[in-house]
Amino acid sequence: MVRYITPILATVVGIIMLISAINLPKSNLGNPNGPMYFPLLIASILIISGIVYFYQEFKARGNDFADFRALRIGKSPLYLLVSLILMLIYTVLFERIGFLYSTILFLAGLLFLLNGRKKWMSNIIIAVVFSFVTWYAFGTLLQVSLP
Amino acid sequence: MGIDVQAILDGFLTTIQPMNLFWIALGGFLGTVVGMLPGLGPATAIALLIPITFGMEPTSALILMAAIYYGAMYGGSRSSILLNTPGDGSAIAATFDGYPMAQKGQAGQALAISAIASLIGGLIAVVGFIVLAKPLASFALRFGPAEYFLLMVFTLSAIVALAKGQMVKGFISMCIGLMISTVGIDLQTGVYRFTMGNVHLSEGIDFLVVIIGIYAVGEVLYNFLSINKPVGEKKSVGKIWITKEQWKRSKWPIIRNGPIGFLIGVLPGAGGAIASMLSYSLEKQVSKHPEEFGEGAIEGLAAPESSNNAAAVGAFIPMLAMGIPGSGTTAVILGAIVMLGLKPGPLLFENNPDMVWTFINSMFIGNLFLVILNIALVGILVKILDTPPRVLYPVIMMLAFIGTYTLGYSTVDFLILIIFGFVGLFMKMLNFPVAPLILAVIVGSDMEQNFRMSLISYPNAIGILTASPITIALVIMTIVSLGLPFLSSWLKKRKAQKNNSEAM
Repeated sequence: MVRYITPILATVVGIIMLISAINLPKSNLGNPNGPMYFPLLIASILIISGIVYFYQEFKARGNDFADFRALRIGKSPLYLLVSLILMLIYTVLFERIGFLYSTILFLAGLLFLLNGRKKWMSNIIIAVVFSFVTWYAFGTLLQVSLP
Repeated sequence: MGIDVQAILDGFLTTIQPMNLFWIALGGFLGTVVGMLPGLGPATAIALLIPITFGMEPTSALILMAAIYYGAMYGGSRSSILLNTPGDGSAIAATFDGYPMAQKGQAGQALAISAIASLIGGLIAVVGFIVLAKPLASFALRFGPAEYFLLMVFTLSAIVALAKGQMVKGFISMCIGLMISTVGIDLQTGVYRFTMGNVHLSEGIDFLVVIIGIYAVGEVLYNFLSINKPVGEKKSVGKIWITKEQWKRSKWPIIRNGPIGFLIGVLPGAGGAIASMLSYSLEKQVSKHPEEFGEGAIEGLAAPESSNNAAAVGAFIPMLAMGIPGSGTTAVILGAIVMLGLKPGPLLFENNPDMVWTFINSMFIGNLFLVILNIALVGILVKILDTPPRVLYPVIMMLAFIGTYTLGYSTVDFLILIIFGFVGLFMKMLNFPVAPLILAVIVGSDMEQNFRMSLISYPNAIGILTASPITIALVIMTIVSLGLPFLSSWLKKRKAQKNNSEAM
């Protein structure tokens, strides 16, 4: 069943786009339907592709479907899930506690995740040093204002 | 039309200004480092390093980005040869004979020939660029909206058709890209489209965030899946030079495949990956010792290395002269150039000739510099290769976030970045080609504008398609490019059937 997720998703997205394109407000300038044409074209191609893709997967239903297998092997699911959580935390903290602290936390988090707890010393050093270097390089050398 | 020697010389003088030389060196080095990381290629290197170019003068920014591009290509062959892990499609062919060479204790020779072949291939292509770019730009001046629209259709269909046996996935990838480009206020009428009531989205989704999400975050996440797998064993490098005998064997393959790679690079949709594969199989066919290919034949490494670098230079022609990128990587560069306020296209050669020629000269110097860097500093570069990826991937991830922040100073972009990071991850897992999406995001908005302008000039679709000889040619090329994969698989099937019946 897993193999049908993407084709169905593509088709559904296409249909949603088709409906919302038809319901786009009419333009007061030029052709009232102008904003609609191109999205309609894309939505149609997407729906057709989704259906063909579904058919291809249906024809291949006897074959092994291994595309998502990597998600279940070893530590991969842990890595992806924790990375996602770390990224979301980073997003929330970035402007609240400032670039430097949030980046140190983010980097340290990823390093502890990937590099392991045993190397805690080098993880912390790398996190702090790289955050400082980036902060200096962007803030001072490239004159980008960071929070 | 002659070649403007004065302009070329002026460009040369601008290139050798100390500041520009510094950018070439910096870009070449940084590109090499990112390109060497297993699994990461030129597109990632450029996407990550785009923020550095903000605030730079456009010419220097272009030079820096090109240097990052070549650097990443050189770096990619390093990891192909030493670790058997190509960074992107165009480095795959280098593993076929490069890795066996390294296993036989010829790592030094393999690195040397790859650098030399890349240099010569690049130089051949620069000459080609000088000859071809300006005529193409003048030709492009005849393009109206209908022609541009159909050129983009052709480019997209070519890149979709090249997604081997997975055209449907290519089309879906393209549609996602085009969809992203329609989000925001419609430029012609001011109508809000697909913003879901979000103020931030009314300005549209910044394509650079999409690019960084897919090429940097997505690629790194994808590499997490295999981070605990042991990489290929690395042998000691030894002396970095080649013997006379090896040079004799690889001389002609290098010279032959430079022009081939260049021409393939100029074609929209094709690029380094196809150029290097084609060169490899071509060299295998003409070789007197085809049985050595795959076992460490030096010409099997020299040919694709010459070809993919030449393709990289060739790919700049449609991008600069017509504003149409031919590959995912050049699409990223185009996106960055547009950010800098330049408008690539035929007029670029009229309005900013100094910039164009400086850029072309920087390719000469950049290629020379990279050979020196790669041969002189190979010890340091190989040490960088020893740094465990599990340390470098987090740093790359952080750079992706910082780069995104500098684009719009908003953490809403972080969410978009995360979403497209995972989109990129799943696309890679499901074998969806990424290039159609990237290309579509970047040309999408222009494509729509040209489409609607041609709707005003011509009453209906048939009118657009038959507006001029150029549009008719483009329509035919589009149909051929989409039909070709079907034709070739049909021919293969027929051949197989024939062989079967003969065997019986």
